[in-house]
Amino acid sequence: MAQIQRVAVLGAGVMGAQLAAHLVNLDIPVLLYDLPLDKGPTNGRVLQAIHGLKKMSPPPLVELERAGLIEVANYDDHLPRLSTCDLVIEAIGEQLAWKQALYARILPHLAPQGWLVSNTSGLSLEELSAALPEDLQTRFCGMHFFNPPRYMALVELIPTTRTDRDSITVLESFITTRLGKTVIHALDTPNFVANRIGVAATVITFHQAQNFGLSCDLVDDLTGPLLGRPRSATYRTADVVGLDILSHVISTTYTQAPDDPFRALFAPFPLLEGLISAGALGAKTGAGFYRKEGKTILRLDPMTRSYVPSGAKAEAGVKACLEVSLSQRLACLRASTHPQAQFLWAIHRDLFHYCALNLAYMAPSAREVDMALRLGFGWSLGPFEQWQLSGWSEVAAWIEEDRRAGKTLVDLPLPDWAMDPQRQVVHTPQGSWSAARATLSPRLSPPWLKRQHFPLRLLGEGGSTAASAGRTVAESEAARLWTLDEDILILTLRTKMNILGEVALEALDQALTEAEGHYRALVLWSPDPHFSAGGDLKGFIETYTRHGLTGLALAQERFQRVVQRLRCSAVPTVAALQGYALGGGCEVSLHCTRRVAYTETNLGMVEVNVGIFPGAGGLTEVARRAGLRALAAQSPLQVADYLQEDLTRILRCTVSQSAQEARSWGWLESGDVLVPHREELLHVALTQALALAESGYAPALPRLFPVGGVEGRAQMLAGLVNALQGGQISAHDFEIGRILATVACGGELPAGTLVNVDYLLGLERTHFGPLLATQKSRERIQSFLETGKAVRN
Amino acid sequence: MKTAYIVAATRTPVGKGRGQFAQVRADTLLITALRGALAQVPMLDPEAIEDVVIGCAMPEGEQGLNIARSAAVLAGLPLSAGAMTVNRFCASGLSAIQMAAERIQLGSADLMIAGGVESMSRIPMMGRHPAPSPLIFETPFHTPLAWGMGATAENLAHQWNISRLEQDTVALESHQRALEAQHQGFFEAEITPVTLLQHFLDLNTGLTTPQERTWHQDEGPRADTSLEILARLKPAFHVKGSVTAGNSSQISDGAAALILASEEAVHHHGLTPLARVLGFSVKGVPPEIMGIGPVKAVPPLLSRHGISLAQLDWIELNEAFAAQVLAVQKNLAFDPVRLNPLGGAIALGHPLGASGAIRTTTLIHGLRRTNGRYGLVTLCVGMGQGIAGLFERV
Repeated sequence: MAQIQRVAVLGAGVMGAQLAAHLVNLDIPVLLYDLPLDKGPTNGRVLQAIHGLKKMSPPPLVELERAGLIEVANYDDHLPRLSTCDLVIEAIGEQLAWKQALYARILPHLAPQGWLVSNTSGLSLEELSAALPEDLQTRFCGMHFFNPPRYMALVELIPTTRTDRDSITVLESFITTRLGKTVIHALDTPNFVANRIGVAATVITFHQAQNFGLSCDLVDDLTGPLLGRPRSATYRTADVVGLDILSHVISTTYTQAPDDPFRALFAPFPLLEGLISAGALGAKTGAGFYRKEGKTILRLDPMTRSYVPSGAKAEAGVKACLEVSLSQRLACLRASTHPQAQFLWAIHRDLFHYCALNLAYMAPSAREVDMALRLGFGWSLGPFEQWQLSGWSEVAAWIEEDRRAGKTLVDLPLPDWAMDPQRQVVHTPQGSWSAARATLSPRLSPPWLKRQHFPLRLLGEGGSTAASAGRTVAESEAARLWTLDEDILILTLRTKMNILGEVALEALDQALTEAEGHYRALVLWSPDPHFSAGGDLKGFIETYTRHGLTGLALAQERFQRVVQRLRCSAVPTVAALQGYALGGGCEVSLHCTRRVAYTETNLGMVEVNVGIFPGAGGLTEVARRAGLRALAAQSPLQVADYLQEDLTRILRCTVSQSAQEARSWGWLESGDVLVPHREELLHVALTQALALAESGYAPALPRLFPVGGVEGRAQMLAGLVNALQGGQISAHDFEIGRILATVACGGELPAGTLVNVDYLLGLERTHFGPLLATQKSRERIQSFLETGKAVRN
Repeated sequence: MKTAYIVAATRTPVGKGRGQFAQVRADTLLITALRGALAQVPMLDPEAIEDVVIGCAMPEGEQGLNIARSAAVLAGLPLSAGAMTVNRFCASGLSAIQMAAERIQLGSADLMIAGGVESMSRIPMMGRHPAPSPLIFETPFHTPLAWGMGATAENLAHQWNISRLEQDTVALESHQRALEAQHQGFFEAEITPVTLLQHFLDLNTGLTTPQERTWHQDEGPRADTSLEILARLKPAFHVKGSVTAGNSSQISDGAAALILASEEAVHHHGLTPLARVLGFSVKGVPPEIMGIGPVKAVPPLLSRHGISLAQLDWIELNEAFAAQVLAVQKNLAFDPVRLNPLGGAIALGHPLGASGAIRTTTLIHGLRRTNGRYGLVTLCVGMGQGIAGLFERV
């Protein structure tokens, strides 16, 4: 079946417009439809929605100007254009009649082999499918995105009984490789998997918080990062989602899942309904469970229904329980008599109880439940994983014991499969437990999975991990050098946030030697969320303290030399970027032959925050690129024009909010490759490395390039003088800016002088140490090391 | 010394930055003004014109290559007439008038054209490649030469203790006066409409449609502003400052042209003098308080001609910034009723090199309409100068 090339989104609501944004972010052509307006511009609704995209936070668009790439359409004038779309995503209001009426209207215009999917979160797909022609029914299913779709990794696919199971892989492949999302299959049951289980976890927490008399700020402290869940935890998440929306999702379970044994818990919650009727819908109205007043955050006192100061924290003994090993955590909580510990045990127990009793009806297997909570709600472990890790039968016995003691929310025994004394696990390398089919449901191997060397695996599923895969060539505490195919060498850093200290740099140096000697290319990749947070600040300070400016300059020179080797190496070097590539990490990546970047990559040289500058060749590299651009434009005296924006970014420590933005800066170059799915990054990096090696690779010969000179520096100083005068930068920022301009413009040389990289690297060394040694810079470093925060003194 | 008369004065409407004239080149604006001025004196044989002096603050790109000469020839002036472009930043247009008038006063010319032009939409303030001398940054004394204009206005507000509310009040008054003047049709006599044939592309059909458009009115004055709205604007030049986009002059496009004649030329060509040029004064001031320039330039000019402040019927003080107007007022205390009676650059716009000639055009038509006698045009100038010109209606 043909690939999906062009998409239509029906309904320019919050989700529809953001989906369109996500598609144009990835250069997928999209038409965004809505009803025509009677008054004003016909496409006013869609235009308004597109305009709104530019103001949303977090930003749905990777670059604001991409809003203009969304093709604007309305149902009166543009339905024939649907025939050019391979995929039509319906995302209109949640009313069966509206959706059916729209389907009837668009039917004659759909492409003969195109897919129609609904982004419904609550309606039955079988019912929606029933009214469609038989042929289309095979290409109809639910495709449920999570808000905000650019950032949420999960998509639920909900096939109906008539959806063609073979061709659905086309959709899966599109969602995975092109949209960068992870697909789970869900059943056509109320709230599908993710919202069903997510909202159950919320409701259980609400009930137990009430039973234990815990305030919402305390509950949020207990159920956030301490449990490996997002900072917004329970109540703050509710505020962010919107209490009206939360209430709607809760009521869907209540009204449409009459067989749910926990149904009574989903009855309208007086506190929640009270807030909604008072217009306190959460973050969007400024008040919900929390209210922000100036800089202080107040919490709701459920007794008086007024807002009182917040900030309650978990008790130290309870925290200690959460810090023991994950497998001992529940035992510790259960054994404690502290009400906070008892509360935490209770919400785990009740969620396990809920999952076990509902698994047969709500998910194809235990796998989808855990994946949903990990990807849709940001939990580090799903409930079945936690249960399995804590000892299946032991926990099952505890639940039964509590039930008999009347402590559980529902007085129903666990199902037989969960009580089976032989049972140790629900997730195995062969598959995960399906309660409906009373057997293990094998994990599928769709074709796109070949592109993921290390796909997301649940605990117990096994499979190879990046830490041990392939053949180890060399390893140290700071890095592992390995290969999957004996052709391409991979360097994986092991330091915290992949920080580049002396040992890591030695490993990089060794990797280059090894790759040049025995391999065809070198790839810098790590399974961690971030490429590298930068150089080793603490190490710099220690070197300076112990060996003074001379020692620091020597260490800096070593760093510079390794970084230069990345570009001059006889074999191609490829940086696989994701998350933070900051400071020294950014400098390293800019020197590789090619960059392969996950679209959510934050590139930036942020050294000025800690009172220093990119001194491992970063400043030299932006100067070199500017010089070559000026030369290409036959303006060797105007280098500063090409340098100015980069120096401003470095001075302001601007970090790109996407790989696309970094490309618009020119930091990612035209030959660099963007990858929408994080798990496919290594595959693409290896493919690119091989492609370079296959091309008869030789590193580009070094060329001379012009510098901005003293004239260019004056041009920068004019901007700095006004920024200082306007109170926008501090006196020390001005001083750092002056040094940035001096180094990048080539010191005291006249504009247009041709220089080489070594000359500018020397200037970096001349100015780096003395700047670091100033009192203001030392204060910045100290503050950063102590608090993790930047001061712009 | 001979007498120099102004016998024609006109200007284009002023467009907002990237507004109505976004696609109109500076030379097109200047050609319009030159033709408009010649049209005011149909009895004049253009062959008799000696020279054309045009002010322009950023004479580069489309405004470069001696725009005065190319525009003069394109406007239909004979090849025998000379043309030069002069630059004194915001005072360029008034300096052009001064140079033309003094040529006549010296007896070295009988008929001159003076004016100014600027398209800030197309050539940004400071030009496309600002390249200040490295020497500026070597001593603190010279550094203010690199200061942005907004910073100097903040400095004035600070030194003269001028509040945000005072500045916003000046801005609002400027808009209200300009709107009233438009309503009354006071600008009609001085404006030469700009007409341009533009081609519009329909991307759906790939077809282009030619369309002739004409602009008659200044684009800057806003009826939708108020003290409340002005108060909401963020400081534009200092994070804790009081100078905003709302109480500063606008980024604008426009041009003006005036014809000056000697007594002999007036008689020979049968011209009607509109005003007599009395004299000019230029003074330098510290760059960091450049807006105070008029305070230094005006008093010596008035005393040289024996004219008191009270004798001035009309004062055109270029509103670079409300803070600057207020600082000047705290020193010179012009009669507020006679100061910028039709609004100023905050409402009407400030196309840098054209403003001196535009303000003079408004002054001359204003004096004639109100039967005033003495009029003063004064402007502050970036990097620290003040200029003033004195005129008498005849």
